Amino acid sequence: MRVIRAGLIVLLAAFSQIASANIIEVKLHYIGPTEGSVWQGVQQGLTEANIQGEFLGQVYSLHAETAAELAKTQDEITAILVAGDEQQVLAIANKPEFAHIPVFNLVSDSDVLRSACVANLLNISPSNKMKQDALAQWLAKNPDSKAHVQGWHESFKKFAASQLNSRFKKAHGVIMDDDAWSGWAAVKLLSDTVARLQSDDASAMLNYLRNDIAFDGQKGAGATFRNTGQLRQLVLLIENNKIVAEAPLRGVKGGLDSLGLKSCK
Amino acid sequence: MKLKQLVLSSLVLMSTSAWADPTYRLFVTNEKSNTVSVIDSRTNELETTLEIGDRPRGIGLSPDQETLYVAISEENAIAIVDVKTLKVLGKLPAGDDPETFDVHPNGNLYLSNEDDAKATVMNPKTGEIIEEIRVGLEPEGVAASPKGDVVLVTSESTNMVHVIDVEAHKVVANILVAARPRGLAFNSTGTLAYVSSEIGNEIAIIDMASHKIIKKVVVDVPKSKPMAIKLSPDNKTLYMTTGRAAKVVVMDAETLAIKSTIDVGKRVWGEEISRDGSRIYTANGVSNTVSVVDTALNKSIKEIEVGKAPWGLVLDD
Repeated sequence: MRVIRAGLIVLLAAFSQIASANIIEVKLHYIGPTEGSVWQGVQQGLTEANIQGEFLGQVYSLHAETAAELAKTQDEITAILVAGDEQQVLAIANKPEFAHIPVFNLVSDSDVLRSACVANLLNISPSNKMKQDALAQWLAKNPDSKAHVQGWHESFKKFAASQLNSRFKKAHGVIMDDDAWSGWAAVKLLSDTVARLQSDDASAMLNYLRNDIAFDGQKGAGATFRNTGQLRQLVLLIENNKIVAEAPLRGVKGGLDSLGLKSCK
Repeated sequence: MKLKQLVLSSLVLMSTSAWADPTYRLFVTNEKSNTVSVIDSRTNELETTLEIGDRPRGIGLSPDQETLYVAISEENAIAIVDVKTLKVLGKLPAGDDPETFDVHPNGNLYLSNEDDAKATVMNPKTGEIIEEIRVGLEPEGVAASPKGDVVLVTSESTNMVHVIDVEAHKVVANILVAARPRGLAFNSTGTLAYVSSEIGNEIAIIDMASHKIIKKVVVDVPKSKPMAIKLSPDNKTLYMTTGRAAKVVVMDAETLAIKSTIDVGKRVWGEEISRDGSRIYTANGVSNTVSVVDTALNKSIKEIEVGKAPWGLVLDD
């Protein structure tokens, strides 16, 4: 087990900023690689969560561990972040003892994870079907295009994406890719929720995330979850490493819900 | 008590206007043409255009209204302009990426440094950086209270209004608001503050004694992205720009009920109100124009062409 201690350092700083020191310590559980872009994204989210927490009275830490270690934990779990494949994600989300805990799928674009409609599963990255639908919308108007679909791109500037891109690059020396964005977004969704609820109770958080949140993912309007557990978001059409369009394309019916599985049956 | 404050603030107002005969110039920053447009507000005609520096955004006047300050973000500086002669007198270093600022009644500038998660306090007469105060991510809106006891700063990516005690140079309270807070305004006595949230599409009223939100509403206007806020001189009416919705929303400042919406140019951001409350001016970033709104009619009476991507404006009246 690896404990990330950044939170403790911030704790010290916190006392100087907060008038009423009712500090909530939030421990996030993480299963996935501890290097590479999703990890860097999670770390970026953690840094930013702790900046917010410094002013509002929360301290965040992250435990990276294996699924087997997680199964044996004695902690009262607040949230579980999983950067793994479809089977790994489902195995964790479907555990009866985790049924009330928000489980975040960070990187898998598996459509099964959306159509399964697991009540505690929150899918951050765009699904495969969302990307397919986006491409179809684009190709309908540009049949010869060689574009592909991404959730995130270094040259994206709108909606304060440029600010996020630049602070991620400053901190990690690399561009923010799709996995990095998902890792970042999951932690920020959690810190937003804790700050607004002033609690890290798992059931209350799951309910808030599924029903109430309007998240500023720095890629458009306040992001909400579908009942499939998919985070609504725009995606980008990229050709020759340049953004050629945002999907949903202008004029397409259904807006953001024109991409991917709209709802559970 | 209230009466005393009123008398006091009107005295301050009187002495302010006694210092300088206003030029009635409206100054507009053009973010993408690196200029400031100067409009004669008595005729609503463009008077001249000043070359100012790389990426001008925030803009404001000194308390005596003789000096214009412009944040030139890419040069990490504040440009100083003489309001009467329109000469650019110099540029002062202002920390990393200064986006916007407010001028404190004591003449100091409170700047938000967007890329650095801090607010900088600068004496523009000497160029001295008096203090740097750590705030949340992507600080944006800044507003000094009318009495100057506190300054508010919004942090867009951490969704807070930070209350800075001016004497202590310290954050004394943090108020969580809806996502991506941008604009700020005080009522004339400083007892209430108003904050707009772009992504949350919300406006909230903060009671400055308790630092609590006492009222908030979602802005029921299609495509609305709340931005700048101005209050009428009688504190009864609030005017808010809404970005892509291309409208100024007119609200009852107490109930936050929408009284009217006024069509202006595209991607409306910056906003100014005349001292007498009879005119609103908006910077329309995509139309490359300034709209002049008559508040008696709640209607735009003129759209004036300016530079590219007009961002903010200030009126010397």
